[in-house]
Amino acid sequence: MITRRYLMVRSAYAVATTFVAIIINFLLPRIIPGNPAVTILLTNFHYLPPGKVKLLEQEFGLTNSSMLYQFERYLVELFHGNLGISYYYYPETVSQVIGTHLPWTLFLLGTSISLSSVLGVITGRMLGFRAGSKTESATSTIFIGLTSLPFFWFAIILILLFAVEVPLFPVGGVFYILDTPGLNFKYISSIAYHAALPILTIVATTFPAFALTMRNTMANQNKEDYILMAKAKGLPERIISKKYAGRNAVLPVATHIILAFGYIVAGAFFVEVVFSYKGIGYVLYEAVTTKDYPLIDGIFLMITVTVIIANFLADLLYAVLDPRVELR
Amino acid sequence: MFSESGILHEIWSNGKARFGMIVFIIFAIIGIFGHFIYPYSPKATFVIWQPPTFAHVFGTDYEGHDVLSQFLYGTGVSLYVGASVALISVAIGTMVGMLSGYYGGIVDNIFMRFVDILLIMPTFPLLVILAAYLPPTNNTTILILSLLSWPFMSRVIRSQVLTLKERPFIKAAVISGMKGFTIIRKEILDHLMPLIIINAVYLLVGAIVAQAGLAFFGLGDLTSINWGTMLYYAQSEDAIVYAAWWWILPPGIAIAIIGIGANIFGNGITEIFGKRSGGA
Repeated sequence: MITRRYLMVRSAYAVATTFVAIIINFLLPRIIPGNPAVTILLTNFHYLPPGKVKLLEQEFGLTNSSMLYQFERYLVELFHGNLGISYYYYPETVSQVIGTHLPWTLFLLGTSISLSSVLGVITGRMLGFRAGSKTESATSTIFIGLTSLPFFWFAIILILLFAVEVPLFPVGGVFYILDTPGLNFKYISSIAYHAALPILTIVATTFPAFALTMRNTMANQNKEDYILMAKAKGLPERIISKKYAGRNAVLPVATHIILAFGYIVAGAFFVEVVFSYKGIGYVLYEAVTTKDYPLIDGIFLMITVTVIIANFLADLLYAVLDPRVELR
Repeated sequence: MFSESGILHEIWSNGKARFGMIVFIIFAIIGIFGHFIYPYSPKATFVIWQPPTFAHVFGTDYEGHDVLSQFLYGTGVSLYVGASVALISVAIGTMVGMLSGYYGGIVDNIFMRFVDILLIMPTFPLLVILAAYLPPTNNTTILILSLLSWPFMSRVIRSQVLTLKERPFIKAAVISGMKGFTIIRKEILDHLMPLIIINAVYLLVGAIVAQAGLAFFGLGDLTSINWGTMLYYAQSEDAIVYAAWWWILPPGIAIAIIGIGANIFGNGITEIFGKRSGGA
């Protein structure tokens, strides 16, 4: 059950947070000391190309000194989807750059999160049903270890093992340069081949956390009366674990996955950097190292808004999935 | 009832918590004394890309720095960043959480609405944009990470204070005429200690990983030697292509060990703490 009040409060928060993100995005370039146009040109080119300062000032909307006027211009441009022009990808606009690279990140994220949640639920269920046994505590300890590994370090180790020492997979990239994009087998298999190690990294570093959540709730479910009843009825353990305890333990895991969404996005970014996988994360890294501020700003806003919306929707979905949850 | 030394004694008597403590003590020793015991200056250069030898136990990197010396030196820097973030966010988070939880009303409302917004905001993009604009020093990194860490801490403390407030011994203190601040300081803070310790440890490790992540992304002070910058240069100078595992392994394994230590320590504390609240 979702009450109207809950819906309104939640959406108010989502809107307020988005607004805070927009304000941060507007203010940061304007509060760094000195003229941002000059600062950025100096860090990029080490001299002031003639005419560029004026051009950039216009780009930032700095020509009129009133902050309020600047903010108004900024909002108008923003709602027209204009996030400015990238320095590094010049003359492409920030929106164009994001548009070309976003699909790769979505592909990487979508595949990894699906695999990792299914794997997490299945292994967690097995662990939960054997809670307290030697195998279980050993596996859980290994899982705790896996969750403690930084994504990017794990990615480096995987490349070292499976792309350099034993060259099974490519060291990086999205597909071979010689492949012709389109719906042909060679292109698609090349994409899958290049995505294998990055996906493996994200799955291996995320599913243990889901499995541990599943294990804990499963272990708690096992103490419930209805499980005792099912056992007394003589139901096979496999059915109890899957259809009884498992069914009820899945929901906390769903919440966990939802809460971890922003964290997984960040993780995927690191993995992209290590594998030179040209998604949004890699582009953000390029933007950071080349001081491409409009691109950094644009990606910040895009990711922030996406994660806020995703969390909001997931929150509602959760209430739909579990009718016992009453969200006020 | 639960004095400071009592808590330490209790932690030490639990196997898991003791394991975590030992891990932290070892790293603290490396962090504090690493500056005095490294075999070479972390900036001295030797033959580049050397695999481990007796002279260079962890080998050398792309510029011929001794990796062991860099690691010993960098541990201190990484721990300094982590400990500072943990200290600042625990201080702010505990203060805000206690005031919010105990007094409620307007104070609570203002603090918690602010905290709500910070909690909804995804952390990573915010970290990146702040670090990209602010001057790249370790202290900036500490500031940014603390800013983003205390809200969660204050939430945890607040909800604990809300339940403590209903317990008989606090009610008794109120009836006996104790002042609000005295109750917070003498009664509530004491009972929050396990929660504060556990969160401080998680914050410490979280900040170490976050700092390493930022550095790996090319953000923060890249001239400082720490676990994060070691990995950043390993990545950007193609240690993978040279298969220089001796350079990549030490900082990553250190992060993993300290992470495992924190998790096991946390489990131990939950065991002690859970038992106590069950018996109370």
